[in-house]
Amino acid sequence: MSEAAAPDLKTRVQDLIDTMINPAVAGHGGFVELIDVQDNRVYLTMGGGCQGCGAADVTLKAGIERLIKEEIPEVVEVLDTTDHSQGTNPYYTAGKS
Amino acid sequence: MGGSARLLLLLPTRTYRTEDFVEAARTLGVDLVCASEKPSTMEALAPGSLLTLDFADPDGAAASVAEWSTERPLAAVVGVDDVTAAAAAAIADRLGLRASAPAAVAAARDKFQMRQCLAAAGVSVPRFRKISLAENPVLAARGVEFPCVLKPLTLSASRGVIRANTTEQFVVAFKRIAALLARDDVTVTGDAARSLLAEAYVPGLEVALEGLLIDGGLHVLALFDKPDPLEGPFFEETIYVTPSRLPETVQRAIHDTTTAACTALGLTQGPIHAELRVNDDGPWVLEVAARSIGGLCSRTLRFGTGMTLEEIILRHALGWSIATLERERPAAGVMMVPIPRAGVLRGVRGVDEAKATRHIEDVVISAHVGQDVVPLPDGWQYLGFIFARADTPTAVEDALRIAHARLQFTID
Repeated sequence: MSEAAAPDLKTRVQDLIDTMINPAVAGHGGFVELIDVQDNRVYLTMGGGCQGCGAADVTLKAGIERLIKEEIPEVVEVLDTTDHSQGTNPYYTAGKS
Repeated sequence: MGGSARLLLLLPTRTYRTEDFVEAARTLGVDLVCASEKPSTMEALAPGSLLTLDFADPDGAAASVAEWSTERPLAAVVGVDDVTAAAAAAIADRLGLRASAPAAVAAARDKFQMRQCLAAAGVSVPRFRKISLAENPVLAARGVEFPCVLKPLTLSASRGVIRANTTEQFVVAFKRIAALLARDDVTVTGDAARSLLAEAYVPGLEVALEGLLIDGGLHVLALFDKPDPLEGPFFEETIYVTPSRLPETVQRAIHDTTTAACTALGLTQGPIHAELRVNDDGPWVLEVAARSIGGLCSRTLRFGTGMTLEEIILRHALGWSIATLERERPAAGVMMVPIPRAGVLRGVRGVDEAKATRHIEDVVISAHVGQDVVPLPDGWQYLGFIFARADTPTAVEDALRIAHARLQFTID
């Protein structure tokens, strides 16, 4: 990715997070913050109800990443940098079933 | 290989297994679709990769997936626990995908059905009896021999499993299981909500066998010793260590008995997790579940040059080649950190010290500060998991105990 293209891609990802993703995950008290876009890889953190949630990986890989890659095809991967062990109010708490 | 193969994972919202299965799917490069029993917040925005299914209704789930998949063909479906294994089997049966027959998975899910099936096939199981919760427990106790073990028909992870040595203890355990099955967070239905199983207590060592069935043949992936005595009154699982330190002849008998159990149940494809007791009379089957090991315990296992258990399971479901089913050479183990008492988790200390213990690979605290924690037999969670790897099983076990002793939990 060229340096000139990076701000534009980051802005488009941020717009998607602001207009579609965060309004959706807010339904479980969650939110997503964009950390950076490097080499067409999106780095983000998950907070609120998403942090430490048992379903966070599903939300990220089958929801957020899928949506971002569909809307912005040059994105190759979305990576979660959240420390989920520090979540204090996860929407779903895992247990052995 | 990969790319366009579409894989459906059935992931309950509260399972520990999500991260490892999703990571395996990412590693394999499959087109991942996730289904849960409750809607994802992202489902409306990603309808091609997120589904909501009623796992308690396998046939209904199969019908929903059949309709959904007409425009999105699936290459495989995988359930990650007892409940989703039944739904996965029904979906696979409907779509012609690789899995054991739904009836076999259902029989493995119900401890009474399983024991009937195994006993009829001559597989050693404890003497057992199903008892209606509507019965008078004092009268019901007259029909069992002591010591016995009472347990729900379908719960897992030793939840609700209680030993009784006397009629008085039997009555207390009976009432406790009835109360447990009435809890809001227990979603059993039908016979499983109205009955319990009473069976003879089998003394002996307990082991867990992790296996993969391929076209009816059982491949043992790992045999775990459980070095902590499991004598009751509750049966809290703590340490698992592999390879087993039991003599080769005993391990062979465990393999053969588990194979016979799978054959009797009709299980032919996919992961199995079996629990057995071993004493002078040989191996006794306590459980054969049509799923892989629970919690985060699979992180102890690596195969070949580093393949995870979840990758093996997904590869098998997809019909892809698996380079090897041979576990790596070092001994490995996990400690499921038990909840010492009920309350609210206020703090955890000593994690860095525990991680610094020789042979300790990782310490994962899965409970969060502020969480209500409930010990067995009513609870279903752990405070966390400790992982160790070393040259010998003894070194692994020692490391797990030392690391655990360095953790301090404040619960009030």
